[in-house]
Amino acid sequence: MSARENILARIRSANKVAKNPDVIGGTAVDRIKAHPSSPLPTLDWENENHFKLRCHELASSLDQIDSLDHLPKAVNRYLNENDLPKKIVCWPEFADLNWSDENLQMEGRSAVGEDKVGLTGSYCAIAETGTLVMLSGEDQHATTSLLPETHIAVVSRSRILRTMEEAWELIRNETESVPRQVNFISGPSRTADIEMTLVYGAHGPYRVHVIITE
Amino acid sequence: MEITSQQFKAVSSSKLKDAKLQKALKQAKGGFVVSRAKVVKELDNFEEIRQAASDVRDHCLAHLDSYLEEWERRAQEAGTVVHWAESYEELNSIVVQIAQDNQVKKIIKSKSMVGEETGLNQYVEGHGIEVKETDLGEYIIQQAGEHPSHIIAPATHKSKDDVSELFAEKHKRPRLDDAEKLTHEAREILRPHFLDADMGITGANFMIAETGSTVIVTNEGNGRMTTTMPRVHVAISSIEKCLPTLDDFALMMRLLPRSATGQVISNYVSMTTGPKRAGDKDGPEKFHVIILDVGRTRVLGSELRDALRCIRCGACMNHCPVYQNVGGHAYGWVYPGPIGSVLTPAYNGIENAIDLPNAATMCNQCGVVCPVKIPLPDLMRKLREKQFEKKLKSNMEHWSLRLWAYLALRPKIYSIVTRVMARIGRILGGDSRRIRRMIIVGQDWTKNRDMPAPSGRTFRDIYLNKMNKR
Amino acid sequence: MRVGLFVTCLADVMRPSIGLATLELLKREGCEVIFPEGQTCCGQPAYNSGDRHTAQEFARKVISEFADVDYVVIPSGSCGGMVKTHYEELLNDSPEYRARAQWLAARTYELTDFLVNVLNVDSFDTTFQGSITYHDSCAGLRELGIKKQPRKLLDRLNHVEVKEMSGPEQCCGFGGAFSVKYGDISSRIVDLKCDDIEATEADAVVLGDLGCMMNIEGKLRRRGNHKTKVLHIAEVLTGLVGNETE
Repeated sequence: MSARENILARIRSANKVAKNPDVIGGTAVDRIKAHPSSPLPTLDWENENHFKLRCHELASSLDQIDSLDHLPKAVNRYLNENDLPKKIVCWPEFADLNWSDENLQMEGRSAVGEDKVGLTGSYCAIAETGTLVMLSGEDQHATTSLLPETHIAVVSRSRILRTMEEAWELIRNETESVPRQVNFISGPSRTADIEMTLVYGAHGPYRVHVIITE
Repeated sequence: MEITSQQFKAVSSSKLKDAKLQKALKQAKGGFVVSRAKVVKELDNFEEIRQAASDVRDHCLAHLDSYLEEWERRAQEAGTVVHWAESYEELNSIVVQIAQDNQVKKIIKSKSMVGEETGLNQYVEGHGIEVKETDLGEYIIQQAGEHPSHIIAPATHKSKDDVSELFAEKHKRPRLDDAEKLTHEAREILRPHFLDADMGITGANFMIAETGSTVIVTNEGNGRMTTTMPRVHVAISSIEKCLPTLDDFALMMRLLPRSATGQVISNYVSMTTGPKRAGDKDGPEKFHVIILDVGRTRVLGSELRDALRCIRCGACMNHCPVYQNVGGHAYGWVYPGPIGSVLTPAYNGIENAIDLPNAATMCNQCGVVCPVKIPLPDLMRKLREKQFEKKLKSNMEHWSLRLWAYLALRPKIYSIVTRVMARIGRILGGDSRRIRRMIIVGQDWTKNRDMPAPSGRTFRDIYLNKMNKR
Repeated sequence: MRVGLFVTCLADVMRPSIGLATLELLKREGCEVIFPEGQTCCGQPAYNSGDRHTAQEFARKVISEFADVDYVVIPSGSCGGMVKTHYEELLNDSPEYRARAQWLAARTYELTDFLVNVLNVDSFDTTFQGSITYHDSCAGLRELGIKKQPRKLLDRLNHVEVKEMSGPEQCCGFGGAFSVKYGDISSRIVDLKCDDIEATEADAVVLGDLGCMMNIEGKLRRRGNHKTKVLHIAEVLTGLVGNETE
């Protein structure tokens, strides 16, 4: 018999032997179909404010704009404040904004090792944890939020959700099947592997800047 | 990984004298315990959520065969190649086979405890393939030629000075004295490897049946790199890591980072479902998942079953008074601390780790912090029962207990013996009323402590004497 | 009310003042105290060493000895935890004894829990005065939820000041046989506990378990500290202390 058959057979026989009651009940197929939610945090918060608070705790910086037309100005302001290069790699959806007015060089493609600043959108955001949710896709390159030292992410105010459960529900409703990768990004890359000292920019971005738009 | 748990006692005593290690352990304890307490307090229904997580894990284990089949079916639909392995050798050889089939010369690896169990790196390197660990802690350990001492902070036993020295030697660069600079030097060294490696290996914190996905939870971003940059991605996991649904996963994520590092959320939670899709500009062309069963099904059918609920957060070790003082290496295998004291004998045979289930004060600090409510002291006690049944207890322990039980089950003789003992003890205590050196039983007590002497008469005698006088 | 006193084997031999103080506390409140003379040990040493069969013998013995009381009071969280939280599981292969174990567990109380939640004692006549720091012994704390009870009692004493130590819930490293089998580790753990105790500069460290008391006292004295008293809470509440009861 194959390893697969052996393992499954051993699981079945072990589960017959063990006297552990299944406290939740139901079959595997039932639970997957119903995907019931477990207890959620009971604390009350206003999503946008809580999201901002969490971003702050995670060392993500924040800005907000009224419409995407103002994005070039906001991006330029952030780059100037932090003394960052004006050459940016972005998701194609942002490539056609008026970047030249701000003297920004914008390239809509997947990122490579040399790129210093990456601009992405986000599928939604989670207030509970200050998290950006990114789905991989043809024009939503995973590398853009990963390789550059600075990651600027645009979040739509109406898509700031309460919990990860709500994000999953949105994905279930809006996509045919889950994309190759769903990335939950919460602040800049970090490590504390040397003497518990917190250091930003372990392998991913040193900086995450979140711009909330209408 | 080779098991050295039988040397626990000797190794732990030497670890107690290792000043550098003691400093590092103290630092880690402060960080983990304090941060966890803070973020747990903030979640007002933490206990309710913890119970729910424990229930979900139990449910999943009770239907593990179905969930694994559901998971596999959906994973295959998404283009994932699924392998099953019944031995460490089998898992390792599947990895090498995949590497050879794809002309892989260099592998980048994101931390995996299953990989530590199977001794994957050594095996793969033995076949002429380069493997680079990329988690900073794992990278440090790999450079130093050591094993991790903690499941989420593998290099926690190393001081900054150790790392400075190691990096200067291995990187052939000037010595750096600052954690930030050291971290960024490792980033600089590893970045080219991320960009040109042929294959990435990751573990999987969870496998989600609803979508056929694997998930990794990291802070550094190396996990995202490893699952995105190389043309082949292999995830290695074990059967018990299955979870039913995305909602169940969200529930676990409320507990895992809080319990592990005291974070509300880890920086990167990445769920992968199959290889690169048509039109995707990035992501691997091939995605393999290898699911391991070594020891798991045996534990599933045993009294130790609850241990399979473990989500590998490390809270039990962070809060364990024994681990806090001896560190992870003393435990002699992949998993240290209380969960290691259960899994090591469970997976490797109880005769190969006699000390581990006994080297615990049964304080149950581990049990109360465990996010999935594993009754760790009870499981250690079950292992002690197994040792007793198999006559693996030392003669000393066996006979002193027999003698004590013989007496204590015979109250008349017991009252006389204890009366005599109380008198002798009082005399031995002298004016200071403490015994400074005991022999045979208790010699290890008085090596570094006094034994307060008994006060001379038993309660029984005093009480009965009073009653008779009335 | 008929209250069975389970004095514990350790207090019986090593420190009878704990039993005498407990007896005194119960009598002052008008309890009819029953002391089954044949009592020895709750069986925990056998239970924790994996000798389930012997542990069962002890459990049956204790259950039989305390079959005829309204309550059982134990001046130890560890032995109390054994009776209250482990006997039932230990005897689960006999329906009769399992039921009797449940019966016993329901009426067994750790001393401070009994004083606060059953007797509701609000004042104590004690000669003890001074500052104290309270150590939460593991079994009492995590098996029986003993945390507020001793502090409530101490608050009711007029001449006692409680100074909380850092990490009062951290294990002292006793662990029964652990303290002897892994003496080096046990000794290091209690060393750190002593640091926390001494940092409070309290006159006494007070707790509810004799095993932990012996561990802490043994370590303090070996460290050269002859000043900090190590007392059981029953001793503090009555002023009947240690060797003075001979």
